[in-house]
Amino acid sequence: MKAKKIVSLLLVATMATSLLAGCGDSKNDAAADNSASTDTAADTAPAETQDTAEAETQDTAEAETQDTAEAEPVEEQTLKVAAFEGGYGADMWSDVVAAFEASHPGVTVELTIDKKIEDVISPAMKAGDYPDVVHLATGREAALTETLTKEKALLPLTDVLEMTVPGEDVKVKDKIIPGFLDTLATNPYGDGVTYYAPMFYSPCGLFYNAGLFKEKGWDVPTTWDEMWALGDTAAAEGIALFTYPTTGYFDAFTYATLSSAGGSDFYNSCMTYEDGIWESENATKVFDLIAKLGEYTEGTTVANANNDNFTKNQQLILDNKAIFCPNGTWLPGEMADAPRADGFEWGFMAIPAVNAGGAGCSFCWFEQMWIPAAAENQDMAKEFVAYMYSDEAAQIFAQSTAIQPITGVSDSLEGDNKMFYSIYDNGATAVMGGFASTAPVEGVNMLDTLCGTVNSIVSGDKTVAEWQAAVEEASDKLREAME
Amino acid sequence: MKKVRGKSIFITVCVAPAVILFIIFMLIPTFNVFKMSLYKWGGYSNNKEFVGLNNFKILAEDSNFFRSFQNTVLLIVCVTIVTMALSLIFAGILSREKIKGQNFFRIVFYIPNILSVVVISAIFSAIYDPNNGLLNSIIGIFRGKEETPILWLGDQKLVIYSLVIAMVWQAIGYYMVMYMASMASVPESLYESANLEGAGKVYQFFTITLPLIWTNIRTTLTFFVISSINISFLIVKALTNGGPDGATEVFLSYMYKQAYTNSSYGYGMAIGVVVFLFSFGLSAVINFVTKREPLEF
Amino acid sequence: MNTNKLYKIFIYVALFTLAISIVVPVGWVFLASIKENSEFYGNPWTMPKGVYFQNFIDAFEKAQMGEYFINSILVTALALLILLVVALPAAYVLARYRFFGSKVFNIMFMGGLFINVNYIVVPIFLMFVDADKFLRNLGGDGFFLNNLFVVALVYAATALPFTIYLLSGFFVTIPHDYEEAAYMDGCGYFRTMVQIMMPMALPSIITVILFNFLSFWNEYIISMTLLTKGSKTLPVGLMQLMQAQKAAANYGQLYAGLVIVMLPTLILYILVQKKLTQGMSLGGLKG
Repeated sequence: MKAKKIVSLLLVATMATSLLAGCGDSKNDAAADNSASTDTAADTAPAETQDTAEAETQDTAEAETQDTAEAEPVEEQTLKVAAFEGGYGADMWSDVVAAFEASHPGVTVELTIDKKIEDVISPAMKAGDYPDVVHLATGREAALTETLTKEKALLPLTDVLEMTVPGEDVKVKDKIIPGFLDTLATNPYGDGVTYYAPMFYSPCGLFYNAGLFKEKGWDVPTTWDEMWALGDTAAAEGIALFTYPTTGYFDAFTYATLSSAGGSDFYNSCMTYEDGIWESENATKVFDLIAKLGEYTEGTTVANANNDNFTKNQQLILDNKAIFCPNGTWLPGEMADAPRADGFEWGFMAIPAVNAGGAGCSFCWFEQMWIPAAAENQDMAKEFVAYMYSDEAAQIFAQSTAIQPITGVSDSLEGDNKMFYSIYDNGATAVMGGFASTAPVEGVNMLDTLCGTVNSIVSGDKTVAEWQAAVEEASDKLREAME
Repeated sequence: MKKVRGKSIFITVCVAPAVILFIIFMLIPTFNVFKMSLYKWGGYSNNKEFVGLNNFKILAEDSNFFRSFQNTVLLIVCVTIVTMALSLIFAGILSREKIKGQNFFRIVFYIPNILSVVVISAIFSAIYDPNNGLLNSIIGIFRGKEETPILWLGDQKLVIYSLVIAMVWQAIGYYMVMYMASMASVPESLYESANLEGAGKVYQFFTITLPLIWTNIRTTLTFFVISSINISFLIVKALTNGGPDGATEVFLSYMYKQAYTNSSYGYGMAIGVVVFLFSFGLSAVINFVTKREPLEF
Repeated sequence: MNTNKLYKIFIYVALFTLAISIVVPVGWVFLASIKENSEFYGNPWTMPKGVYFQNFIDAFEKAQMGEYFINSILVTALALLILLVVALPAAYVLARYRFFGSKVFNIMFMGGLFINVNYIVVPIFLMFVDADKFLRNLGGDGFFLNNLFVVALVYAATALPFTIYLLSGFFVTIPHDYEEAAYMDGCGYFRTMVQIMMPMALPSIITVILFNFLSFWNEYIISMTLLTKGSKTLPVGLMQLMQAQKAAANYGQLYAGLVIVMLPTLILYILVQKKLTQGMSLGGLKG
């Protein structure tokens, strides 16, 4: 019992240090990378990771590349890949698959791609017919990834991290931006074992119309006090301060503010359901903040905060009816066809610091790729996952603005997208990882309790105290189910 | 002797296929629902753990479940009363009055019933839109544009009644046509003699029409309970998904959430068992309460 | 006289209000289906700027609505056929003969009315999974999943209680004289049923067909679960056009799809609506 606690403390400590290095360092690393742009993390890695593994890295890497080059006979194999079709579109997946097939003779990839991929694959999975590789993030409504995690039906990816990126001589783990592999969003059980490979990261923050700020001569607020002041000014002109698409978007918002309020140790305690943590002073700050934000929320938001109508809330930003909306970088693509106010220009910022003088914060959202434990073709599946971190694959993804968590990739972006990924340059902290996975608890859903209730807070149907108590209660029940 | 054998062969051949299909595709799955409600199972792996009645014990303390229970009962009661009343009135009008375009009304009123739920939810999203919705635009004419819009799908006290409207809209034509059919068989002579006695139309409706189609109303009530549970789920799933903050969660939508998104398949099946017993019990109660001596005509 | 006139006015106002509340929204769906994608943001009640028929072409070509349409027709027709072949004789016999177990069967089918498809669909699915595994172990191929015929069979089976209830309600009301006369003439049981009773039941049969056509055509939960790859039915295809978060929505195709789903039901309904009332007045729903 005690040993467990120490392990988790250590874990938290490593997370804390690495979080700072998370999404944010794309720019810093870029400098180091520019000197040899074709060369990848191989150069930068030793500078940052000084552990013992490094020495072995070189040897095994070479050994392995030779291995794969010679010992791989042309053997007919079919790899079943299932991918979620998000805002980035489906084309990049077929391109990447084509490139993978070209570099791996004899391998045929059977690609299934869908906007509701869980509906497509889960019936077959129940039937025992599993894909070899699945690209599907956590936090989706159907929660397929979480379900498989709770059921312990995933393959550990530890050896994938030790593999060499196909066609290159770098290990996978050295190529991934540091910090990405130390979160609950890759190691869901909090035991240091990686089960999800991090894919396409995207900072979440507040979107606004930069054109509106210019037109009105307002300054973009950097603290919550300035935020409330702006809210009052705007209210006089009939513009609301805030709106949100659905309460589902409060996960990123809450994570970021929690971390900003209490630091990353505190944040991780929240995510691992520590006793009483949701009733602590720091958590109360966050609950109060969201409640106050609720008072500044556009009047019709709640009515449209459902799957059918959420674009109407996003439209409020384009129509200058609300100023800020929490979202991820996919928003401009989602609203590409929508009509907008004259002079509209996307603006994007991190969430202001909760404590005066503290750092702003932004949740770094990323998607996940995993291998079901029941996959038939596990070796090739691992090869495929490793391939995702090759420069070749990253370039293809980047053309559709899907950014792999590889150092330097976001530099190839242009225009608005460049601005989105530079959110951490102004000193904002990157926050990563969500709630720890537990055994299923009947009738308890943490995200529903934490985020879904925001609708009731905004409409005044529940008090903050009730909300806080409910979250703590859910947290208590989930803590018991953690192992 | 030969005839008796021929008869039993005939009966077997006629009934057996239906009974076999029924047993395989309805009875056995229902039995499995009952069985799985006693297990803890996530839905994918092979670790099914027998937990006895534990799922029901958790259910008894689950406030979210009680909320969905309340919502379901509220929907059934409201939708039943409103739909019954309106469809009886319209059926009475269309079958007793000389109305121009009677056929047109009969055809049009039935249309909502043939629409897919997806179409219905698209329609009501547009009707309930807070700023540009049909409903708020019409109300805006009377109360002025400057008032804060009514949030049909956002106000937690209102949203369940917004669903009632959608469900009534969907069901009214079906029951109207059904009542019209049975009203058509009420003998004209009864109304004629009532007319001679100078009885008013409303009086006639309550003393002649209603009692004579009472058995029909009883039957439809049972169907009402069954179909309301089903339709409320489909409409909720498409229109509000249980929101805002669980205000429109109903039996089956909660069952789906637990069984498929909360990795608690066994728990979801326990809810399924409750739904089955509930609809069965409610129908029995309705049947008992509405029992009258059937009137012959 | 005056109150009578007021009464008439009131009646017409009530009738027209309800009629408008139905015609306008349904018409709106048709109008929306010819709007361009950018017209779907903002006020939903504006008139389309022009006729954008490309939505329908896209729905058929990009969203494979044509293929789904054929699947839907196949499944619906097959299910109706199976249902009629199975339910008609059963309803007839259960309504008119007393035999060993007839009471149990009657109660069983009545009880079936309370079983909700939404919670038995997964047990059915799991049953097929096991059956397919068994078949594969025998060296065969999976048969039950992803099979339109099996979906039709499940549709028919789940519609049995209601259909038998409706039909036997009608058969009960026919006087026994008809059969006795038929036996006198030397008609066998089968011929009596097929040649004498079925034609009498025609209006009820049409009602049954219409009701079940509507529910089969609009059904998506069973078909979504049992058809896991490739072939889909129309409502399932439509659900996939519904907007998913984090991806740009394709409203034009969605509304074109809604019209494609809606049209056949509208047409069939208008064709048989006269018979519908007739069938209901004869059928079991009369009570």
